Amino acid sequence: MNVKNKEDSILSLANKLRWEVGVDFHDLVIESIYRDASRIARKTVVLKGGKSTYNFDRKLDRILTSPWLGFPIMFLLLAVVFWVTVAGANYPSQLLSALLLNTVHPLLKNFAEGIGVPWWLSGGLVDGAYLSMAWVVSVMLPPMAIFFPLFTLLEDLGYLPRVAFNMDSLFRKAGAHGKQALTLSMGFGCNAAGVIAARIIDSPRERLIAIITNNFSLCNGRWPTQILIATLFIGGAVPAYWAGIVSAGAVVGVAVLGIIFSLAVSWVLSKSILRGEPSAFSLELPPYRPPRILQTLYTSLIDRTIFVLWRAVIFAAPAGVIIWLVANIHVGHSSLAGYFIQWTNPLGLLFGLNGVILLAYIIAIPANEIVIPTILMLTVVTAGLTGVGEGAGVIFQLDTIGDTKKILEAGGWTLMTGINLMLFSLLHNPCSTTIYTIYKETNSLKWTLVSTFLPLAIAFTVCFFVAQLWRLIVL
Amino acid sequence: MPDGANPGLALLVGIGVLIALGLIFWPSRGLVSWWATSWSATQRILVEDSLKFLFDCEYKNLFCSLNTIAGHLNISIDKATRLLDRLVSMGLIALDNDTFHLTDAGQSYALRIIRVHRVWEKYLAEETGVEQEQWHGEADQIEHQMSVEEADRLATQIGNPVFDPHGDPIPSPVGEIPAHTGQSLSSLKEGDIATIVHIEDEPPTIYAQLMALGLYPGMQIYVLDITNGKISFAANGEECVLTSLFASSITVEMLPKEVTVKEKSDLLSSLALGERAEVKGISANCRGRQRRRLMDLGIVPGTMVTAELKSALGDPVAYKILGANIAIRKTQADFIFIKRLAVEP
Repeated sequence: MNVKNKEDSILSLANKLRWEVGVDFHDLVIESIYRDASRIARKTVVLKGGKSTYNFDRKLDRILTSPWLGFPIMFLLLAVVFWVTVAGANYPSQLLSALLLNTVHPLLKNFAEGIGVPWWLSGGLVDGAYLSMAWVVSVMLPPMAIFFPLFTLLEDLGYLPRVAFNMDSLFRKAGAHGKQALTLSMGFGCNAAGVIAARIIDSPRERLIAIITNNFSLCNGRWPTQILIATLFIGGAVPAYWAGIVSAGAVVGVAVLGIIFSLAVSWVLSKSILRGEPSAFSLELPPYRPPRILQTLYTSLIDRTIFVLWRAVIFAAPAGVIIWLVANIHVGHSSLAGYFIQWTNPLGLLFGLNGVILLAYIIAIPANEIVIPTILMLTVVTAGLTGVGEGAGVIFQLDTIGDTKKILEAGGWTLMTGINLMLFSLLHNPCSTTIYTIYKETNSLKWTLVSTFLPLAIAFTVCFFVAQLWRLIVL
Repeated sequence: MPDGANPGLALLVGIGVLIALGLIFWPSRGLVSWWATSWSATQRILVEDSLKFLFDCEYKNLFCSLNTIAGHLNISIDKATRLLDRLVSMGLIALDNDTFHLTDAGQSYALRIIRVHRVWEKYLAEETGVEQEQWHGEADQIEHQMSVEEADRLATQIGNPVFDPHGDPIPSPVGEIPAHTGQSLSSLKEGDIATIVHIEDEPPTIYAQLMALGLYPGMQIYVLDITNGKISFAANGEECVLTSLFASSITVEMLPKEVTVKEKSDLLSSLALGERAEVKGISANCRGRQRRRLMDLGIVPGTMVTAELKSALGDPVAYKILGANIAIRKTQADFIFIKRLAVEP
């Protein structure tokens, strides 16, 4: 009993003293830790040299962050990275596609027929699952295997933090973190990688903003779509000698529009649903370092390229099966795809698109790379064209763009459909790989749903108004 | 052209839908937030608010009449009378000789509500990015919805805070609260030195103006002059002038005259490139994660900082702190007090 009394009196004394330690005792603890640490450091740590590298860093910093040269250097370096990626990926992509699509695919098909596999099984597995996976790999792998190492190299050199440092002022006005400039650039390679890269932003609110808006960076998988449609419809709408420059301008315009949307949506998010999330800015500018080439290659290939590609392949296989099935399962006199397209066509037209496009964006959700092949296949099947394509459920792409345009025009496409497809492709929901990555990174269903449906709502809104204004003014 | 709808009509409908969505979801003005804030003042909320107010009056030894209660709760005298009758019948207050005071039950009820309110304010200040003008309003709603157990869990999660961000003590789980100390700023005399211990967050308009002046609990002030009902004082080396109405919102604790008045500190944001300074402290208005981040980077009293580099657009600026180059935005640098040092030869 006595012990109990003692305990109680100690506890009540402790409770009384709690009021007297003051508001800032946590600060006092941190301060005393720093005081002790610096006292110990003064006694024991000896500094040697380092002045010359320090001066070199300083001179380099003065140039890279100067008001006149800072931005031109940044744009130049990023342009070089993109150019090397596009130019360098062209040939390996053709090689891979010749191997995986034109050689291995018929081989597998013949093999399946040879051992007597039923047509529906070989169709679902070889024409569906395998073809989708092969397509994703051949279109995705080469640009990513070039883009990510180059980007990691710039990071390793210490240049990327300077980009964030220069861009912060702009992103601060949008309620975001300067490092979002980096995740945004990374998103041009792949949105899933951009979302993962948002880990470098250590402030919760700004990190969420970067994750949700990364979708508006026009990723690798969507560049070919933009280039193809711009060449066919926008380039085709102007005199031939302007076609090249106008369609290239349209693609760059779409990419810039993406950046504008990224900043505008960041601003709205920081002022509305993310208002109460905590925020803390800090950005370290590490010293410049000579790059470690081998390590860079290894980490960027394993951590970024293979990691992202693997997720995309995993999602592409079942989607390939579904693409094949909706075109081949017949109920009555039409396929499932036919019913869906007939049913959604009026809705699609209201948004300046059509039923084929809506279905293609639903079933080709694993990767934007297979959207155009799926659209072509579905158009051929539903418009009843003969002599083109590989058959129901087999996605394909044509070698000449003239033939591609003929198919699309047979499907009812106009210049407006082309423009709206470009806008929809830029703004619509992220691919399933990215959605899954967002879930893994945020660990929250709520933010995953926001990141998925907010862009989709924006895409439909923009397409709707463009379509109606177009019909009102142009037609 | 196989388009079913008339484009002009579709356009109008589309714009109509956007406007309707805007009206419903617009932050802090739309229907959704209007519904959220105006869920009718039910009887229980009135009971809890009046207990809180009565406790506050007793705690600060202020006189509290039927009129002041009605005014504070924004209800008619009739309604206030019925409310007090109800409180008496619930055994929460007792009447003697026309004055009322809280019973033990009423007091512990009031302390529970106050605990939830202040714990929530502390949580908003430390763990979220909600701006300080909004803490009080949000806590006023949450105090009626949150259970004591939830408040206890939240308090544990944020390290069992003892004071709320306005400097008020948070009642302990068993309802202990230290006796009220300090006096109103308007009661000070010329030459007095004191520390701000509390800034009243009601009414919100006065609170917002005091915040705009940069005043915070823990700040040391020195009274310069009192004339015509206006008090002027030095706070962090800056001169502030307040009317007595504003000054009465601030509670201070007197310091002995021997205390040397803190000299005026410069702000880190005023440091020119190449200049060196010693950190003097971080403003109390920099809180939570942001404050911990700055301290983790080594921004504590005594640390040397040098302004190194301006970014291409001029903000942020990189400072050399403990051997590392750290970029800090101007809005953060405005929170950091420094003392300039002579530039190294």
